[in-house]
Amino acid sequence: MTTEIRPGSTHTPASRAWRAINRVLFYAILMFVAALVIVPMLYAVLSGFRSTGALAAAPLGLPDPWITSNYTEILTSGSFWQAFGNSALIAILSTILTLVTSSAAAYALARFQFRGRNAVFNLFTLGLLFPLSVAILPLFLLLHTLNLLDNPWGVILPSVAFGLPTSIIILRPFFRSIPSEIEDAAAMDGCTHFGFYWRILLPMSRPALSTIGVLAVVASWNAFLLPLVVLSNPETHTLPLAVRDFNAQYTQDTARVLAFATLSMIPALLFYIAAERQIIAGLGSGAVKG
Amino acid sequence: MTGGQAVTTRRRLVGVLGVMALLFSACSSGATSSIAPSAAPSVAASAAAPSGAASPSASAASAAVTITWWHNANQDPGMSFWKKVADEYTAAHPNVTIQITPTQNEDFKTKLPLALNSGTPPNIFQSWGGGGLKQQVDAGKVQDLTAATASWTSTIIPAALSPYQLNGKQYGIPYDLGLVGFWYNKALFTAAGITAAPATWDDFIADVAKLKTAGTAPIAVGEKDTWTGAFWWEYLALRECGKDKMATAVNTNSFTDPCFVKAGTDLKQLIDAKPFQTGFLASPAQTGATSATSLLANGKAAMELQGHWEPSVMGPLTPDGKGLGDKLGWFPFPAVTGGTGTVTEDIGGYNGFAVSKDAPPEAVDFLHYLTSVDVLSRWGAAGYGLPTTIGSETSITDPNLKELISQRAKATFVQLYLDQAFSQAVGAAINEAVAGEFAGQLSPAEVQQAIQTATTK
Amino acid sequence: MASNIAATDRLAAGVRQDDGSAGRRRSLRQSAEIALFLLPALLLFIVFVLIPLVEAVYYSGFKWNGLEPLTNWIGLGNYQRALDDQFFTGAIAHNVFLLVLSLGVQQPIALALALALSRGFRGRTFMRLVFFTPYVISEATIGVIWLLVLQPNGPLDQILGAVGLGQFIQLWLADRSLVMTTLFVVISWQYFGFSMILYLAGLTQIPHEVREAASIDGANGAQALRYITLPLLGPTIRVAVFLSAIGSLQVFGLVFIMTSGGPFHASDTMVTWMIEQGLTRTALGYGAAMAVILGAIGLVFSLLYQRFVLRRDIEGSVTSFAG
Repeated sequence: MTTEIRPGSTHTPASRAWRAINRVLFYAILMFVAALVIVPMLYAVLSGFRSTGALAAAPLGLPDPWITSNYTEILTSGSFWQAFGNSALIAILSTILTLVTSSAAAYALARFQFRGRNAVFNLFTLGLLFPLSVAILPLFLLLHTLNLLDNPWGVILPSVAFGLPTSIIILRPFFRSIPSEIEDAAAMDGCTHFGFYWRILLPMSRPALSTIGVLAVVASWNAFLLPLVVLSNPETHTLPLAVRDFNAQYTQDTARVLAFATLSMIPALLFYIAAERQIIAGLGSGAVKG
Repeated sequence: MTGGQAVTTRRRLVGVLGVMALLFSACSSGATSSIAPSAAPSVAASAAAPSGAASPSASAASAAVTITWWHNANQDPGMSFWKKVADEYTAAHPNVTIQITPTQNEDFKTKLPLALNSGTPPNIFQSWGGGGLKQQVDAGKVQDLTAATASWTSTIIPAALSPYQLNGKQYGIPYDLGLVGFWYNKALFTAAGITAAPATWDDFIADVAKLKTAGTAPIAVGEKDTWTGAFWWEYLALRECGKDKMATAVNTNSFTDPCFVKAGTDLKQLIDAKPFQTGFLASPAQTGATSATSLLANGKAAMELQGHWEPSVMGPLTPDGKGLGDKLGWFPFPAVTGGTGTVTEDIGGYNGFAVSKDAPPEAVDFLHYLTSVDVLSRWGAAGYGLPTTIGSETSITDPNLKELISQRAKATFVQLYLDQAFSQAVGAAINEAVAGEFAGQLSPAEVQQAIQTATTK
Repeated sequence: MASNIAATDRLAAGVRQDDGSAGRRRSLRQSAEIALFLLPALLLFIVFVLIPLVEAVYYSGFKWNGLEPLTNWIGLGNYQRALDDQFFTGAIAHNVFLLVLSLGVQQPIALALALALSRGFRGRTFMRLVFFTPYVISEATIGVIWLLVLQPNGPLDQILGAVGLGQFIQLWLADRSLVMTTLFVVISWQYFGFSMILYLAGLTQIPHEVREAASIDGANGAQALRYITLPLLGPTIRVAVFLSAIGSLQVFGLVFIMTSGGPFHASDTMVTWMIEQGLTRTALGYGAAMAVILGAIGLVFSLLYQRFVLRRDIEGSVTSFAG
């Protein structure tokens, strides 16, 4: 690598032109990618405003006239909100349970010394290697035995269990990196381990916890395989299952199906917009490392 | 830490444990409101089982009974019709509530076994008889209806009852028996210069060529749902083998006769002529605007080999809800020159309901009402299928379905679709084998081998 | 960092006064506390993860349809069947195909976009928002939408025709030789944002001073990228690649909804075929065997990856800026 300094090399007309082209190309490519992302979603949204006959006749086209009945009828029917409620219940409970159990376990694994500590930690990392799909068949039978089928807890408990490895792996180094002086000081003040955990460690770990929480909400909201297997009764179905149900039930009404799909996107999108900075900050704080 | 702190720790321990205990105990009481009420109602001894009258007689029972019902009419208007029937029954039996779960046909394969295995199986569920029902019966999930229905099964066509019988006992009640045949667009046929339905397979191939020349997609097939392609092979097999060899093959799991390879060869002849719509390998059969039935309904393909439900499925797939209207015609599967079979032998299927082991007597009583001449006549008149209760088939007015019924009356043999005649696993393998030929991956001999392997595994 | 952990460990060991007396006293109470913190997670994990995994291995030795009693032990019969099953080996090939494309196409694109977004420019936040959006949408919704977009003579075909690229129109989902590639594109569409965000996070970790030093030394953009940025991004790249690879092995939802593994097994993945056999065709023993094989493949890959690729990161060498 040369050590020669070359001042002024950025100001020749040639390089300025090159930079201009560079910039145009740069924006063009970015806009193209953005278009690739936005267009399919836009297609879903707009198609919801058309009739199925219009869609069949001309798959690509703007709504003309704008039909709002697809959207309004879905929003006023019970099934969308029921699925929404099911998804929300499962997502909230899963996330809370994940945060509580994984932070407690990570705390024990990070700041206590005991025999078999590494073994326990490795046990959890083992879970990272086996996805839900590997265990789904026996898990289904197990849930049947525990009478947890058609029950939100049949979705919540396994989801939390399978989310533990990732959360613990993220949190443990985080917890370890808290300086021991703080814990010393807390002990000096007469704080119990639980008090330290609850009053100091958790608040200090808010970025990591928020990231885990947000990712847990998204994962739970969009989960497909586990709810598909566990929930038979359509009344218990979550939104992704409801999209599929709707597609099967109103199969001939493509426009309405797309309207339902669009509506099912909105809660996730709103949540994402609100939590986006949190996700980025969390991932960026080095919470996800090797 | 001091002693005092230790006490606080213990209290906190209890608090945390208490919270966790609360969280977990919530599951045993089924606290959330989105869970449907249990399907196992408590049946009081005083609930009287009504006798064999056709109309719903008012019951003197006082205990509240809930019946769960899974049927496959998950689209209107069929869905609303069943709801109406349920409402009529519950109006006459105020203590009975019927909870309906319309389920897509494809989903029955995954959802039903799971549900039957769960703590809350549906009381009444769709059944197609044959091997699938046998598996469920063998596992002890199905109620023996022989005694409960003895007084009224004589009102049903015997040919329809037999697929639901095992070891001489009745395990299901049919309401529909139909045949697979060709649904076609009369206008497109005329435009291509076809004046009469093809009498032989060679005529059929010639007609396909004429349609291609006229610029229409001759045949719509939704091979993403592999059961539709299987119809073709099954009919050709029936034509080549004849009813005796077919019945023997099914009963002894032995598809080794060369006529089964000939069926595949005939099919290959058709596939090589490229008569299907673009992208047929990924087209669904009946679901949505891209499905094969939708293409037929909207005039984009000239014919489809499908079951008797076709008109009721076609309607909603068109903007005006009327399907092809009077442009729709029907003709039976042609004869195959040199084959042993005749045109009075058909591939067909049944629709019926089975009852789960611990369902209440009201479930059977409801089925009695459902299969009454009155209800099924209305059902048939609306064009949903071909009812099987004697006296109800006169309600069919649709000319196409009337033709189907007369064909049914002439039939000397009806073979249940092979994927229903065997268990789910074997049925799927059979459909898959034929799909292999449609995809150009399996030769006729290989298809025969694959089916032979599947049925003997 | 190292000293921190050592201090923490000392603390955790309860050694405050550096004599041995605290050790014995603390063991009972601390054991209870450790148990309290650890038990909920451990219990959930054992019941809902470990036990089913062990049961999968157990069931895989039987021929069983889930309804009848569990009596038909066939030992390794299901595994033999899986190896002979051309559809299962085909499914494995499809997963490998996805893995290779992910590493070769999807990751570089995600990285390039992250590099682009790491420069300050107007609209950067908006772009970042947009690119991550597909990740938050459910596979069911995405599958339904793309199914309609990709239909013959559907929106995609019409757009291609309109811009003069009509000769490139294919049967995206019906062509057996093309369907897996099409699915790869849809899968990437959904997940590229996640990888991109990981890379972005890694990029922000690289201190400014290093870049400045490089440009003072006269390195141009490409050289800085190759000799500074990428090496420093190493740990992040290795993590992103790992996650992407594991994800490729586990693909289910989108394929299930869009093609169900068709046409005629052209797009089967290990999980879709396993679900088809295990649930739809109620061959639970066989399905379990395939699940075990899937788990074994993932395990071997992870162990090898950890040993050979991630080892340098764990040892905390030059690349520990992310620490």
